[in-house]
Amino acid sequence: MKHILFIVAVAAMLVSCGSTSSLTTLAEKYPGMYEEQPVTIVIMPPINQTNHAEAKDYFYTTLYAPLCEKGYYVYSPYLTMEMFQQESAYDSELFLEGDLSKFHEVLGADAAMFTIIKNWRRNNIGGALTVDIQYTLRSTKTGQTLYSRGGTITVDTSVNTGGGGLFGALADLAATAIATAATDKVVAGRRCNAYVLTDFPKGKYSSLFGKDQKNPAGKDHVTATVR
Amino acid sequence: MMKKLLSLAVLAFVAFTVTSCVSTTPPLYSWYGYEDAVYTNYKKPTEKSQAKVLEQYRYVIEKQKGSRGVVPPGLYAEYGFLLYKTGKKEEGLGYMKQEIALYPESEVYISRIIKQLEK
Repeated sequence: MKHILFIVAVAAMLVSCGSTSSLTTLAEKYPGMYEEQPVTIVIMPPINQTNHAEAKDYFYTTLYAPLCEKGYYVYSPYLTMEMFQQESAYDSELFLEGDLSKFHEVLGADAAMFTIIKNWRRNNIGGALTVDIQYTLRSTKTGQTLYSRGGTITVDTSVNTGGGGLFGALADLAATAIATAATDKVVAGRRCNAYVLTDFPKGKYSSLFGKDQKNPAGKDHVTATVR
Repeated sequence: MMKKLLSLAVLAFVAFTVTSCVSTTPPLYSWYGYEDAVYTNYKKPTEKSQAKVLEQYRYVIEKQKGSRGVVPPGLYAEYGFLLYKTGKKEEGLGYMKQEIALYPESEVYISRIIKQLEK
């Protein structure tokens, strides 16, 4: 009988959370999130370190919905964008390590989410788009880093038309080029957010708020290829 | 005895599976095509894209099926702001005030926007 129980327990452990890669808990990895319990988050305009000038625009608005889904009050980037531009604060580099108390004063924001786009590369022939983004959440009150994680996500948009022979191969190549060009590049940013923020502690509006301290934290950097 | 132990084991298994992968929670809000509609209108605003985005806001506001059953943060404010900018000033201000009522933590910012608009 004991054997059965043992097997069941092992099976349960194996199937339950196969993706868990580290034994560090959320509370151990992101203690500031639990000490300060931020409610409101302002998304800073992304810092673009690539030559792809549009990447900043493509990525800026994609963080809004996923952070709301984590249970936070997130200021609409469509509304704050104008303010950032008027106040010549559109370059977040100035604030990355600087004083953020102004954002608490003006917006009521508890924390600011910085993103650095390190890579945004497209390979038309291979049909893959690779993005490399670093996420850092800083407190507007204490300035401390509450959350930090990076991701390298490759979105493979290759399309197979299923035709054979030389013509089929050419058609495949053309279809891939079109699919890549037509793919809204916003999708790459969205996928990266989805992968990286899997271990973002839950906020006030989530039913798991204050209950996820013991959940496992992910690696510092996540790498994945998605379709 | 055997049966009892077995059912206990099954129960333990189920309990473990349920508690271990808590990250798969149902969405808090329904977004529908919000992200695409708003982004398209932001990138290349036309009369058509604007009409579509206004319709999209109404849809998201009326058809919330997420676990919270309320409109996501910022949405009333965005909708109100756009209404105001398209001439429906009173209605727009009304939605912005609804944002503050639903999310009091937004007051500092939203009341600042309202003040600027009313100048």
